[in-house]
Parts: sequence; C-alpha cells; structure tokens
Amino acid sequence: MEPAEVEFLAEKELVTIVPNFSLDRIHLIGGDLGPFNPGLPVEVPVWLAINLKQRQKCRLIPPEWMDVGKLEEIRDQERKEDTFTPMPSPYYMELTKLLLNYASDNIPRADEIRTLVKDTWDTRMAKLRLSADSFVRQQEVHAKLDNLTLMEINTAGTFLTQALDHMYKLRTNLQPGESSHSQDF
Amino acid sequence: AGAMAAAAGGDSDGDSEELVLTPAQLIHSLEQAWLNEKFAPELLESKPEIIECVVEQLDHMEANLKRAKRGDLKVSVHHMEIERIRYVLSSYLRCRLVKIEKFFPHILEKEKSRAEGEPSILSPEEFAFAKEYMANTEAYLKNVALKHMPPNLQKVSLLKSVPKPNLDSFVFLRVLERQENILVEPETDEQREYAINLEEGSQHLIRYRTVAPLVASGAVQLI
Repeated sequence: MEPAEVEFLAEKELVTIVPNFSLDRIHLIGGDLGPFNPGLPVEVPVWLAINLKQRQKCRLIPPEWMDVGKLEEIRDQERKEDTFTPMPSPYYMELTKLLLNYASDNIPRADEIRTLVKDTWDTRMAKLRLSADSFVRQQEVHAKLDNLTLMEINTAGTFLTQALDHMYKLRTNLQPGESSHSQDF
Repeated sequence: AGAMAAAAGGDSDGDSEELVLTPAQLIHSLEQAWLNEKFAPELLESKPEIIECVVEQLDHMEANLKRAKRGDLKVSVHHMEIERIRYVLSSYLRCRLVKIEKFFPHILEKEKSRAEGEPSILSPEEFAFAKEYMANTEAYLKNVALKHMPPNLQKVSLLKSVPKPNLDSFVFLRVLERQENILVEPETDEQREYAINLEEGSQHLIRYRTVAPLVASGAVQLI
C-alpha cells in the first residue's frame, strides 16, 4: 500500500478542535459530528480538522501523547527494549506529520516533537530490519508482529513479502517432483 | 440543510435479512473489503450488496446536497466525505479490475466450474468485462502473431500461459475473531508443521494459503 493511502486511513482518527464558528450537528454517512460552538472543544476526524484549520476556522488541540515529555519516555523505552513497544496511536507517525505540517502553531515545541517521533521511528525500523533478516535466515513461515503500525508494516512489508515470495519460489523449484511449478511463475 | 438527516435510512429498501448495517458500518465494511482486496494475491468474492448500498448512500446524499444552498460550510463538509468514500470505492473496484486483467483465464475457469448456488466471485459487470477481455486477448494474439505461425504452433492455451495467482505469497494480517489451531505448513522438508492460535487483535505475517478461508469469512483483516 502507498504511504499516501496509509495516511488516508490515518485521517479517520479523531482529534479535538476548538472551533470559532457555530454549526448544528452534521449527519455524515459515517456518523454524526458536532454541534460546533465557538470556544467549545469538539472531536472531529483529522481530515476535517485539517480542512477547518486551513480555513482558519478552528484551533487544534494536539493529542495527549504529542508532548515532549511523553515522547521522550516512549523513545527511551523503545531504545531499551528488544521488542516493539506499544505506540500511543496506531497512526503516530502519520498523525505527527499531518498535524505538524498543518497546525504546528497549535502544538508546543513542534520541532522537538518531530525529532522525537523520527528517532522512535528509526529505532523501530532498525528493529524491524533485524527481525526481518532473522526471519528470512531461519526460513520461518510465521511471525507475530504485535505493536507494529500499518505505516511500519507497509514501509518494510512490501519489500519483505516480495523477497519471501521469491525465495519460496526458488526453494520449491529445488525440491524434486514438482517440476510443473516452473510453469506458474 | 436539514434534509441531510434522511441519509441514515438510505438502505431501507434492501430486503435481504443480513443487511442491517448502519451507514457507518457499511462504510467500514467497504474499507475492510478494500484492504483485503489490496493485499490478497487472488481475486476475492465480490461484494455486490456493499457496493450497491454505498452507491445508494452516495447518490442519496448528493441529491440532498443539490437542494442545499451552495457555499454553506456544512455542504462542503459533506462533499469532502463523499469524495473520501468515492475514492475508497473506486480504488476497490479498480484493484479488482487489475486482478481480473492479470488472472482472467483462471478466474473464468473458476467461474465455469462453480457449483449451482455458490456465490460468484465476479459481479455481473466484472464477468462481462472478463469475458470480453479474454475474447479480445485471444483475437489480438491470433491476428498479430498466431496466424503467421506454422499450423502446428497456432494453438495457445491462455490457461497455461497466464500466471496463476501465487497463493503462497506472504501477507500481513490483524485478527478480528480469535482462532485456534491454525496449522502452519513448513517451508522445507526438515521442518515440522505446527499449530498456532490467533489471538484477537494480534498481528501476523504468514502465507496467504494458510489464512485464505479466514479472510473470506472476515475473521482476519489483511493489512
């Protein structure tokens, strides 16, 4: 899946905004939103939050985890453990990118947050590469991947699954008695 | 703009019993079907009821929006949502067409051998498309190459020359309903097969063949 498509899915996550306009409940196909009152916080999907923000119709309240102290803890934990630690949001990377790109004036210490999330991401991707390597070496056929986010899976995953498919093909063709396999490449 | 509330009752005329989804659940099942289709190596069963209901919802909403006054904030929010749903819908249908173009002889063969009453993996429109695609490919091959070949080389079997979907490819999945004793087949002869449990909410990397029935039943979601 393309990163843009993962981001598309991330845009469905809810964030809190403080609108500066009033509007009744909106009955969307996917559920109701609102009502909107000036100064009263309300939850909306990220796609709407960004749009309203761009039209200067709201102020954004960053998610609780988007905070330098919390993210430092998460980064240190991630560096300490050998396994993947649970992330504060299944879309932490995409949300950080989206919210910092469109609403950095509402997020305190935005630059530090960007760096912290990037560090965490890098640590996790390094772990993922290591475990992919041992998965391939040991010719495993099953792996459990709890706590990995969709973006992480799709960044490393396509390459990994394609490599595994190729290796599987090479290996099954080596085994005798299955010559018909070579037809269905 | 009050008329938009009516959208919630959009699928009332679908009379089959299983369709008691709210519009929000409907959109969710469309997204699930979209992701599964994107990651599964083979063409999955078509979901005509979901497509039909989503299109109905979209049409209904668009009809309502035509009556609303332009430039209204509410209207623009509705338009944005419609565009998002339409994107998923067309990406889903496009993904199926790509697979049909890639595997058409095998898909049509499967369709031929389908038992009476068993649901088709193709919608009527997709079936027509696949047949036409097959006929066009055959005619093209014949006109461009085969008829200039020696008579004994003029036959070509598309079933044999078009690659089959690789059901042994690896997929990532998230478990929606707990499953016990899923047998994992070994990769080489020296290894032994073993069983795993799939806990709800856990994520796995595994060969598609092992979990294909679970994808079809909706017990796991490909990611």
